[in-house]
Amino acid sequence: MTGRKPFLDALAAHLGPEDVLVSCLGANARWLPHMKVAAPVFALCDSMSAAVPLALGIALTRPERHVVALEGDGSLLMSPNVLATAAAAGAPNLTIVLWVNGHYESSGGQALPAAPVDWPALARAAGLRHVETVAAPAGLGPALAAARRAPGPALLVLPIAFDPAEAIPPYSERPAEIRTRFKL
Amino acid sequence: MTTGAETIVAGLEAAGVTLAASVPDTWIGRLMAAVRGSGRIRAVDVAREEEAVAVACGANLAGGRGAVLIQNAGLLNCGAVLAGLVELYGLPCFFIVSLRGDYRDPVYYHAPKGRVTEATLQAWRLPYALADRTGDLAAQVRRGVEFAAESRGPFVLLISGEDLA
Repeated sequence: MTGRKPFLDALAAHLGPEDVLVSCLGANARWLPHMKVAAPVFALCDSMSAAVPLALGIALTRPERHVVALEGDGSLLMSPNVLATAAAAGAPNLTIVLWVNGHYESSGGQALPAAPVDWPALARAAGLRHVETVAAPAGLGPALAAARRAPGPALLVLPIAFDPAEAIPPYSERPAEIRTRFKL
Repeated sequence: MTTGAETIVAGLEAAGVTLAASVPDTWIGRLMAAVRGSGRIRAVDVAREEEAVAVACGANLAGGRGAVLIQNAGLLNCGAVLAGLVELYGLPCFFIVSLRGDYRDPVYYHAPKGRVTEATLQAWRLPYALADRTGDLAAQVRRGVEFAAESRGPFVLLISGEDLA
């Protein structure tokens, strides 16, 4: 199983200036300021579960932009209801990318409740029609391209290795900076 | 004759609101029915109230104007997202909240929520107002939306079922 960063690098490589990236709190939000990302980025440093509905609000308001929301499995486990909300809203310009490592990485690597959640099945049961599991970073480009073509919101599930030794940089931007820089 | 719900929606429209995210109760459901009759406001049905806050904030970030229409029970769910998104990032967020459980509400089981709603708003330092149906409801809505926008923060307008008639 691959670690987070190769997936994040692959994702960034497939985003253009007309896309929008919304990141959940934690490792992804901490890495992004140190990466070259062509799309405007709004990264959370708190507020678990807010990334997907925040991205949905952007997607509904700006239908000409493709909005990618990064969410963690711990965060989504806290509010899986948002899958139904996204399905009901039907925004075809929303892609949710779910990072699955079974741990609350940003709070010290505690394990999630030990339930073998079948995320693709849960998402389909909530009404999402386009769901794909991406096993390797090389598959992310084609998967994102297919998600862009989907007639409704899409979910890409990324199983990633949990690496407690990953050298994740600290949060390097403050919320006001993130908000001020975020222009569509 | 124009109903209070229609007047509130006219206020939302006049304030430039483009999206209303909602979890309904009996009263908010009536208001959302009026929202759905608007050609200028997109109604977004969400599963939990915290989502409504984030959806509205997303609309604001994207150049629209979002509003949150929920019951006070749902507002009580929203402490974390208010602190960690609205306050932390300085985002406008206008709420219309049904004040269930005050003296005007005939349903007994709402009473505990009614007792804590204003105290919670004060404890969370959320600017709010009680809608006054003897005055200009549309103007009250418009002022609330503008307050949220100019202060880059939340504003809560509490309504009762009587305000919608």
